[in-house]
Amino acid sequence: MGDYVWFHDVSWHATYAIYFFVIGICAGLSFLSYGTWRTEALRPLREKAAWGSFALLVVGGLLLIGDLSQPLRFFNILNPAFLNFTSPLAWGALNIVAFGIASVLYLAALRQGNEVRGKLLATIAALLALGLPIYTGYDLTVHQSRPVWNTPVMPVLFVALAVASGSAVGAILAGANQAAQKLLREYMLWSTGAVGVILISILGTTNYGGAAQELTFMLMTTGTMGLIFVGIGVVAGTAAPIALLLAPFGRQQMGAVLAGVLVLAGGAALRYALLMGPQQLQTLY
Amino acid sequence: MSEELRVSPIETREMPGKRRFAMVVDTRRCIGCMACQVACKAEYDTPLGVNRTWVPYKVVGKYPNVKKQFLPRLCNHCDDPPCVRNCPVGATYKHEDGGFVLQRYERCIGCRSCMAACPYNARFMLPSHRTYTPITNVVDKCTFCFHRVTQNLVPACVQTCIGRARVFGDLNDPTSEVSYLVAKNATQVLRPEEGTKPHVFYIGADRNQTEFGRDAYRKPEVMELERSAFKRHFDI
Repeated sequence: MGDYVWFHDVSWHATYAIYFFVIGICAGLSFLSYGTWRTEALRPLREKAAWGSFALLVVGGLLLIGDLSQPLRFFNILNPAFLNFTSPLAWGALNIVAFGIASVLYLAALRQGNEVRGKLLATIAALLALGLPIYTGYDLTVHQSRPVWNTPVMPVLFVALAVASGSAVGAILAGANQAAQKLLREYMLWSTGAVGVILISILGTTNYGGAAQELTFMLMTTGTMGLIFVGIGVVAGTAAPIALLLAPFGRQQMGAVLAGVLVLAGGAALRYALLMGPQQLQTLY
Repeated sequence: MSEELRVSPIETREMPGKRRFAMVVDTRRCIGCMACQVACKAEYDTPLGVNRTWVPYKVVGKYPNVKKQFLPRLCNHCDDPPCVRNCPVGATYKHEDGGFVLQRYERCIGCRSCMAACPYNARFMLPSHRTYTPITNVVDKCTFCFHRVTQNLVPACVQTCIGRARVFGDLNDPTSEVSYLVAKNATQVLRPEEGTKPHVFYIGADRNQTEFGRDAYRKPEVMELERSAFKRHFDI
């Protein structure tokens, strides 16, 4: 008592977590739309996934720009004279713009019914979509002084979350299509399993680290943040859908949709906790 | 590999012909008068709630033998600054002559990635409204009083320090006071494990303050009380 502590503001607020969530689904749906060219069972989802991905890109882009304290200076990031290529944000901005262009061209090809161009553009869009979760994860990874963020598996976790979220939305969109549901159930199961494995490794290494890591582990697993991270993110959003999808009920349409909803809730909670939890410590130093 | 090849290309410490400014904070001489904080506020019209320099303290010892341990804080003007690497538009840059880490306000987009990158929390977002200056909604930080140093003056906080706890000068000049103090005293820097090579050196600093997040070990309800009092104070 009696100490004079200076309380700092966190760098990135919740808008950024919503952006992570939205852009993850956007990338996942883009993968799904590309998948429809490879797997006939997913064919009914092609247009829906492509349009959904584009709509979420617009929402995500607006969120990202709105979160800047100088939104109109967003164009600075596209100015070749200003670009600093050691920053992941610069790569991210270029990636988003390239993905946006590819998405528009892909949607145009779909409207024209041009199969050859559509397949090519779906591949390009999916490759660029892969860059979205990678750069968002990389955005956190580079911060050497922040526990939990500073791990090379963060981009991999974000890719797994994107596949899980995309498959979950796909399962909801697929409705009564049995063949598509069967495939999406597999995607959801494996990607959510991957999320679980990566979370275990992150939590394990965080708890095993130094004072900062130990304190961050404590902050992320107790209190309100613990409820969000462990309760909704790990238990309800990762373990429960895996158990549900493995159970006989998970093979039915309702089961898959329920698992999808849980995966989406878990994905949102995990992104929020992974963004905000490790920043709590910095407010005290 | 030679030492010259192993250092980062933007580093300027011990580079012949280049100046490299540094600050030595002798915590044994700091009396916690906060004059440095006030001088800095006056120099830059820094708004309420944010500071370019601040002086947190800890009460150490056991009653009746207690004392306040001060640790003046500011931007460390690192030799290898992560904020410069992280800024997507080059708004944060390192000045070659003197090694100042500075901000181009007209370029800053307010993405706060430099704030996230800084291990010392030395950066802050300027609020929308300021009293005298139109620069708002961009990230700001201590500049080592670049405008004063280029006119052969010392930073405002150094000028005003009544106990001469802050000493400023060129570390690459072997005859400077900072060179002497760093060479002759046991000095600490904040969070050396980050590899940023800070240019603020402390003499006699309390390790419980130079390390990361020790306050998180305090009782959550006490922290919550203090945090709400802090917020209430700056909402005035």
